[in-house]
Amino acid sequence: MIHTVFVAGLSHRTAPIDLREQLALEEDKLREVLSDVAERGVCSELMILSTCNRVEVYGVAEVPGEARGAAFRRMSAQRGMDFQALEPLLYTKTGAEAVLHAFRVAASLDSMVLGEPQILGQVKDAFALAQSCRVVGPTLHALMSQAFAVAKRVRTDTEIGRFAVSVSFAAVELARKIFGTLDGKAVLLIGAGEMGELAARHLQDQGTLPVYVANRTWSRAQDLARDLAGTAVRYEDFPSVMAEVDIVITSTAAPEPIISVADVEAVLRARHERPLFFIDIAVPRNVEPAVNDLDNAFCYDVDDLRSVVESNLRERQREAQRGEVLVEREVAKFVDRLKDLEVVPTIVSLREKLEEIRRGEVARALGRLPGADEATKQALEALSQAIVNKVLHAPTVKLRDSSRAGHGRRWVEVISEVFGLGTKGRIGPPS
Amino acid sequence: MNAVVFDVALTAYIVAAAAALGSLFGRRDDLARFARLLTAAGWACHTAAIVLRGVELGRAPVLTLAEGVSVVIWVAVLFGLWIEYRYGITTFGAFFLPVILALGLGLPTGLRDLALEPQSQSGWTLVHVALVLVGLAALVLNFGSALMYVLQERQIKAKRPGAFYYGLPALETLDHLTLVTLTVGFPFLTVGLLLGVLQAGRSWASLLAGDPLALFSLLMWLVYAATLSGRAVGRWRGRRAAYFAIAGFCVLLATLGAGAFFHGRHGS
Repeated sequence: MIHTVFVAGLSHRTAPIDLREQLALEEDKLREVLSDVAERGVCSELMILSTCNRVEVYGVAEVPGEARGAAFRRMSAQRGMDFQALEPLLYTKTGAEAVLHAFRVAASLDSMVLGEPQILGQVKDAFALAQSCRVVGPTLHALMSQAFAVAKRVRTDTEIGRFAVSVSFAAVELARKIFGTLDGKAVLLIGAGEMGELAARHLQDQGTLPVYVANRTWSRAQDLARDLAGTAVRYEDFPSVMAEVDIVITSTAAPEPIISVADVEAVLRARHERPLFFIDIAVPRNVEPAVNDLDNAFCYDVDDLRSVVESNLRERQREAQRGEVLVEREVAKFVDRLKDLEVVPTIVSLREKLEEIRRGEVARALGRLPGADEATKQALEALSQAIVNKVLHAPTVKLRDSSRAGHGRRWVEVISEVFGLGTKGRIGPPS
Repeated sequence: MNAVVFDVALTAYIVAAAAALGSLFGRRDDLARFARLLTAAGWACHTAAIVLRGVELGRAPVLTLAEGVSVVIWVAVLFGLWIEYRYGITTFGAFFLPVILALGLGLPTGLRDLALEPQSQSGWTLVHVALVLVGLAALVLNFGSALMYVLQERQIKAKRPGAFYYGLPALETLDHLTLVTLTVGFPFLTVGLLLGVLQAGRSWASLLAGDPLALFSLLMWLVYAATLSGRAVGRWRGRRAAYFAIAGFCVLLATLGAGAFFHGRHGS
């Protein structure tokens, strides 16, 4: 009878990556698990979130531990894993703690990379899947709708997702801080390092940027140029190409700098001092660090980019603090709603039950009064309704008050017992 | 009456400047929006104040130095709001509003009573004054954008995102802005000053010797002319252009100071 909202599972905080990878399930398998667990009757509502960083069961159950066991036993069986080995890694949160957890997960406050945007979509997908399996009831529905709303607010009210947290994205962000729009800016990629290619691709995502590729090995330059839909240039020609482009990415294996201060000075003169941004991803460095001291030349090496990323991460942590405050406020509000949600079904079924009795008795009474006129009928209706309302008043008030005071469940039990109310219709979309 | 309305406008500018600075330091977009709204409201009051003054005095309200500064502010605020809108720079207010205030708060003090000689109040004088004032307004904004450029460039060169890094626009945008404000301001200034010289109808030497305001104006014009030609030749971009814009503005302030404290042909 007493149903608790809970979340149980494991995440990057509790379980190693190989285990998480092994347990993560595809959609069709999840579908099976959802229906199987629901059929066992250990929980009234259920949803499973399965990503590479967390596998979690959200639900409403009388005994959360039982539901947790059933779900994870089923999932580990699916993967041929030993449930006994898995069990110590699982955490379970119930009530307000579960709500807090759901909100934090959706808002990306519990993510490995704070503020990463994918998790909200993953939670939404998990919820949609559970809905399509008809294992979502009013409580999970309310919980998840609110979690989505809170996540959106955290994203818009704080700057948690604003700053790049990877080296190549940090380079793109810097390019934007120098050039504003990247549309029409040209890129020269020297060398064939993977990170250089990645940075070039990220830049291309920002607009139409012509890309030139130079490499000591001509065929390698041609291959890469084809991949990036760019133009291959001879390695000897790259100094002259520098005058035409705006961003130079270097990632060659050269043991010494291939671009000197004097080179860049000459190039800047040739290009009328239009700014030039060097992204030096090579180690050892390909561009002399002193290039950064020239007017209108900017040079970032890998360490510089990493320190920008670190500063951005600190920025995200600062913003996450604001997010936490926001989430905590929302949890308090939602727990109040949840308490109401707890007693509302009982109030509704109590009212339905009394209404049914009333209607039956009125019909019987009218059967015994064949000559009753309209006024008598109306008086009978009014009388019976007044009695029902008066009887309902005290238990309704008691239920609402006790739910707000935190012991609504006890009264739900008592009143259901006293009035003989059933528990039918708990699963299904909310009205 | 016009003084009261002017004070209302000035108060709106002061609060707007505080809000704009708050939004810059605290990185709060809501404050920036509030500042923009208040600036626009202040500008409306300011317009009313200028018109009222003209009606009350029965003459064009651009003849004293104080009136001139007021018009510079009026044009600069309008231009500044347009730039914020056109380039989407939410933090621009934090840079030009304080400068404007520094000028505006000078008004109630020594600048207020300075007036042109009555006989020089011809139509051409008005055109001369008006053109110079519009030019000066653009140069105030030129200074603001140069300041932003220097700050942002330092942060990017230092490779440590500082407090303003996230709030300031891209370097190219700021460089473009210093160029736009200069190319708008300079022709006004040039034609305006030239008209003044022609009207004075005297030789250059005697003109400059007898009038500190004219002397400083010429100096200011030279600095801005140098900046613009340096840009045109393609050598001065970015930081160097920004430093020149800042230097030009310092001479501009000195020019206003010369107008206020030395009595030459412009003063009475």
